[in-house]
Amino acid sequence: MSELAPIIVIAGKDLRQELRSRAVTVATLFFAAITLLVLAFAVSGNGSLLADIAPGALWTALAFAGVISAAQSYAAEGEENSFEQLLLYPVPRATLYLGKLLANWLYLAVLAVLMLPVTAVLFGLPVAGSWPLLLLTLLLGTLGFALIATFYAALTANLRARESLLPVLMFPVVVPILLASVRATSALTQLGNRELAADWLQLLVGFDLVYLVTCTAIFRFTVEE
Amino acid sequence: MNDTSQARHRPGWLNALGLLAIGLFAVGAYLGLVVSPPDVGQGELIRIMYAHVSAAWVCFLAVIVAAVYSMLYLWRGRPVDDVRAVAHAELALLFAGLTIVGGMTYSKPTLNTFWTWDAKLTLTALLFALLVGYFVVRGLVDDRERRGRVSAVVAIVVLASLPFNWMAAEWFRTLHPAKSLDPGGVTMEASFLRILIFNAVVAGLIYLWLALERTRLGRLEAGIEERRERVTGSREAIDV
Repeated sequence: MSELAPIIVIAGKDLRQELRSRAVTVATLFFAAITLLVLAFAVSGNGSLLADIAPGALWTALAFAGVISAAQSYAAEGEENSFEQLLLYPVPRATLYLGKLLANWLYLAVLAVLMLPVTAVLFGLPVAGSWPLLLLTLLLGTLGFALIATFYAALTANLRARESLLPVLMFPVVVPILLASVRATSALTQLGNRELAADWLQLLVGFDLVYLVTCTAIFRFTVEE
Repeated sequence: MNDTSQARHRPGWLNALGLLAIGLFAVGAYLGLVVSPPDVGQGELIRIMYAHVSAAWVCFLAVIVAAVYSMLYLWRGRPVDDVRAVAHAELALLFAGLTIVGGMTYSKPTLNTFWTWDAKLTLTALLFALLVGYFVVRGLVDDRERRGRVSAVVAIVVLASLPFNWMAAEWFRTLHPAKSLDPGGVTMEASFLRILIFNAVVAGLIYLWLALERTRLGRLEAGIEERRERVTGSREAIDV
């Protein structure tokens, strides 16, 4: 329990900071919603196509919003050089990563849960049938995304051209996670095939575990100054 | 610096290794193009497989070796490990490109398409993108120690994504054929398999030769960089 407490404290700090300023919430919520609107508008008039691309649209919107929120979680630290003070805390660097990860994950998961009904309405996606598994897909998919985003955002926080570099570096890594999430979502909603969805969810668990271990193990090298 | 004085004199055995690799490559090409019988299903197209599969295996090997040197760099902090990691990462990128080109050549006549968003193909394209990202990061950091550390971290993440690429042909049974070599059992016929193994070993030898040459070059470059920094006392003068 004692190792868990600092993680929750750091995540709590990040989430409290966000609740007070709401800077990221406003940006990501509108950005995700607008992405969904643009995609829905692009294929409107074709009802079956609309439902077909709905899972892809949902995860595209979440991915774009996720890049913004992850970059912002370090940009806010950089403003008053507060990240250096965070580094002085007598906890391992991995704890800082896990704390930031927890905040980013919770934030993205809430965003995903908010965007799901929006997608269902805009794209005519049937979500009522298997919502517990759908919720699990959202949780596992956003976890995988947050793992990579939080890690690479720390790596690029001090680099030149970080705004363009972060998506360039992280998207090739997260594409398999997005792929599995999209396939699991469409298996649950359109195909109603729980076994197929379970296969993709298994893969997502595998991704999440591999990157959780890898990123936690080498995070200290991304922030060492 | 001890590293550069060793690297300055080009060892004779490096030439011998290169000549051996090129000679064996000719033998491998002869075995694949002339000696190998045509396959029952694919006919003469089986000959592309020897190059394509060899390139893919060497690419995986190079990614692993680059990541191992990256870990060594993070662990020991010796600049030479960074130089080695770059050499192997460059070859990983080269062989990833060859794998994709070879795969496209192979799939046009067999599957009637150059490219399809099959999981295995997608993940290989992503591996290529990941390796490009490695070099993008290197280009953006000027400080040598920091550049080595940041790119080492990227190399390790690339390694972490490798198992999914390796298993993709097993997990997603789509257009790309499944692996025919497994610890569990070999489904490929022995005459094809022997030629494939020979070609793969030759590709590995070429890879080893190029890696050693590139490492030697990298050490000389690092020596120049270090000397200039010492003489001018700043990094700005290097670009002039």
